[in-house]
Amino acid sequence: MEKKNDFVLDVKNLSTSFVSDKKEVRIVKNVSLRLRRGTTLAVVGESGCGKSVTVHSIVKLMPKNAKVTADQVLYRSAKDGKEYRLDQMEPYGSEMRKLRGAEIGMVFQDPMSSLNPVYKVGDQVAEGLIQHTGMSKAEAREKVLDMFRKLGIPDPESRINDYPHQFSGGMKQRVVIAIAMICNPDIIIADEPTTALDVTIQAQIMELMKSLQVNDHKSIILITHNMGLVAEMADEVCVMYMGRVMEFGSLEDVFERTSHPYTQALLRSVPVLGLAEGQELETIPGITPNPADLGPGCEFADRCPYCEARCREKDIPRFELSPGHYVRCLRYDSYQEVE
Amino acid sequence: MLKFIGKKLLQMIPMLLLISFIVFGGLQLMDVDPISYMVTPDMAASAENQEALREQLGLNDPFVVRYFNWVKDLLTGDFGYSIVNGTSIATLLKTRLPATFELAVIALLLSSVIGIGIGIISAIRQNGIVDYLGRIFAVLGQSIPQFFFGICVIQIFAIKLGWLPVNGRTSPGASGFGDAVVHLVLPVLTMTVAMCAVLMRYSRNTMLGVLNSDYIKTARSKGIPEWKVYIKHGFRNAMRPVLVILCFRLPMLIGGSVVIESVFGWPGIGSIITQSVVSGDYPVIMVTTLMVAAAILVASFLVDVLTAALDPRVRLGE
Amino acid sequence: MSAQASTLQQANKQQASSLLRKNIRKFVNNRLAMIGLVFVVLIVLSSIFAPLLTSYDPSQISLGEKNLSPCAAHILGTDNLGRDVFSRVLYGGRISVLVSVLGALMGSFVGMVLGSIAGYFGGKVDMLLVRLSEIFQTFPEMILIMILVAILGQGVGNLILVFSVTGWMTTFRMVRNEFLALREETYVQVCEAFGMSKAAIMFKQILPNVLSPVIVSTTVNVAGFILSEAGLSFLGVGVPSSVPTWGNILNAAKSVEVVSNYWWLWAVPGAVISIFVLAINFFGDGLRDVLDPKQQ
Repeated sequence: MEKKNDFVLDVKNLSTSFVSDKKEVRIVKNVSLRLRRGTTLAVVGESGCGKSVTVHSIVKLMPKNAKVTADQVLYRSAKDGKEYRLDQMEPYGSEMRKLRGAEIGMVFQDPMSSLNPVYKVGDQVAEGLIQHTGMSKAEAREKVLDMFRKLGIPDPESRINDYPHQFSGGMKQRVVIAIAMICNPDIIIADEPTTALDVTIQAQIMELMKSLQVNDHKSIILITHNMGLVAEMADEVCVMYMGRVMEFGSLEDVFERTSHPYTQALLRSVPVLGLAEGQELETIPGITPNPADLGPGCEFADRCPYCEARCREKDIPRFELSPGHYVRCLRYDSYQEVE
Repeated sequence: MLKFIGKKLLQMIPMLLLISFIVFGGLQLMDVDPISYMVTPDMAASAENQEALREQLGLNDPFVVRYFNWVKDLLTGDFGYSIVNGTSIATLLKTRLPATFELAVIALLLSSVIGIGIGIISAIRQNGIVDYLGRIFAVLGQSIPQFFFGICVIQIFAIKLGWLPVNGRTSPGASGFGDAVVHLVLPVLTMTVAMCAVLMRYSRNTMLGVLNSDYIKTARSKGIPEWKVYIKHGFRNAMRPVLVILCFRLPMLIGGSVVIESVFGWPGIGSIITQSVVSGDYPVIMVTTLMVAAAILVASFLVDVLTAALDPRVRLGE
Repeated sequence: MSAQASTLQQANKQQASSLLRKNIRKFVNNRLAMIGLVFVVLIVLSSIFAPLLTSYDPSQISLGEKNLSPCAAHILGTDNLGRDVFSRVLYGGRISVLVSVLGALMGSFVGMVLGSIAGYFGGKVDMLLVRLSEIFQTFPEMILIMILVAILGQGVGNLILVFSVTGWMTTFRMVRNEFLALREETYVQVCEAFGMSKAAIMFKQILPNVLSPVIVSTTVNVAGFILSEAGLSFLGVGVPSSVPTWGNILNAAKSVEVVSNYWWLWAVPGAVISIFVLAINFFGDGLRDVLDPKQQ
């Protein structure tokens, strides 16, 4: 029943490491994930677990001291029906640039610093459009006005000529979303898009993103550490810890048939809608280890209540519990091992 | 924008008055008889004239009155006279200022273009060959004394190779554009090297900071070419702090010219300052100090205007 | 409980010493910084032990041996009064280094005290001191120094004084900014609640936190003052010409005749100054990497 073309983005064994002081530290390890067309994939985990690095590696927006390797990063365009291998492209070459903005839009964490302070917001939104379509400034302006209206920015005709510092945080984030959306891309990657915003504004922005996904049939990768958001937004969930995908599956798989001890601990430690009465919030014992000091075996071993000796021996393989539900934990070694 | 400039210009007036007041007060404290620098020496020579002169010049008036008279004199171009050789300070400035100005402006232009250019390239190609050489150059430029560098280039290009004149602004008897240019090469080179080092380091660090900012990532996520990212989004933002430093370098140029003019026998303001400090020519020191202070005010005015022109936050925030 | 406390203390100590060891290792691994340190120590030591290295008196005039080029008796030749250049460079280092080190230390001290006061008390005091530092900072240093020298007169002591008056601003800014941030920390409030005196809080509790960047900026100032002293003495307005300093030796190079004919009179002291300043800069950069990684 699963059509292959369902997946707009298909990543296999993506690894990223940073080189500093001649030492190489692995930040993202053998990450495989798939984004179904027209759905939202949430990538969750504690801060520093490699969520952002993963998606930045996919779109190749990485600093120079980063080394990215992957078996495959495949993007299937709906516009021309072609398949693109992002892993084989030059990070800032023309192929990659044609996709960035036009097919893959990005929304970053902090709207305060994501906009260039010295240019008018309208020009900043139009820039990508003019780059990819070559349309005139006047045409681009109309498109930007349409986008501003669609995103609920009031009084777009005058706001378009304002500078970023004249906008509030929530409005700035709408502008950033406008930049990501202006070329009508298939995929929107949102890296903690509401972390820097007030709670009420958060809800507005998330509603906006959800409507984009549903009405415009966009595929969204949402990076967040907020489990409540995940429950509301996601169709599929990818749980990461120390650069490793611990559990991957549909929202129901991960939230109701929670399998990995880390996911279980994570869910117990955050308030989620539907928290049973009397159930207490727990903390995960221990601290997040330094990625440079990790030994072999499971990354979560030191904090895991079910840890056994064999957990520390070698890298843990992926087991498929049910179609599309993967877990990296030896407790499930009776299931089919997949790569 | 015009209102902004006007406001900044008005703000300069009280500052100038304050500085001139301090300078005037300082001159009074120096215990130099004002008669010796207010009139030409031959007028001051005869003793019986002096009392009449004092009365006539208002030297017996209270301090504040004398201060305002002095300011009035300054504004009408009467800067007083040197107590060492009796020349009019106004004439001194008139002959010497153009020389310093010529040297400083050329060095400033050259060093900004080269220094900022290399600094920006170093930041874009961090740890590349330009960056590496640039950093070596910067550290050498900041470690070798300016005058020593000057002596070295004189020894090499003027004495050993004989390509360029040893010192001075013109050769005796000769004139014309070519003669002026050959005299300029070595002092300009010396001044440029030192300034380049500072500017290079600063613009590299600023540009590196800008390139690490989030809006550069946003710009890249739009899929625009890298050169556009660097020029449009990077350079424009890095320019503001660099220009601020550049403007504050303007008065520093006068400081730098003190040493360089001495090495190259350049007849400018710098050598006047040295001479007046060595000989204790207080009126000259005070007037030049006042000029330097005025130059700083003009520089910071330029900084304000440029910042406003480049940054909408400043322009619209006021 | 007390056992726990003592193990905690021990752990802290261990952590501190391992941090120290790590920093030392980091510094030793920085090749340029180590080379810098070696040269600084070498030059300072040879100035201090000058009498062991040369038998000539730096001010001994011997008109019979004027302007000798380097030879066996005078390895760096003699100047226009027949004084031994090698011995003058060695002894000159004493004054040059002394003036710049003391000037930088005193400047840092002034900057630290004023910065602590401005940052801790804030308000009007702060505004006044910041304004003052801005005025000092924008005024060309060389001209400011020369004016002060003109007022105070030439001399080693006066030059140190002038340097400390003109060299306090960077330290001041750094200390002030740190104080503004640290003043809000809980531990400062705890100290205040305990009734500790303001001076004790400022200098015993907060100040140690800002020492690292101050050390770095002091080394940078030493380099700057070596250059300033050389420049001033070259112009003849620094240390009186009777005292040998690196700048005073170079003063001879003001005449074209010396530049073209007697290279040893200017090339050697010039090179020594350049190497010394370069070494301090390398050393300072290494120190900054270790002590103050934020500021690069």
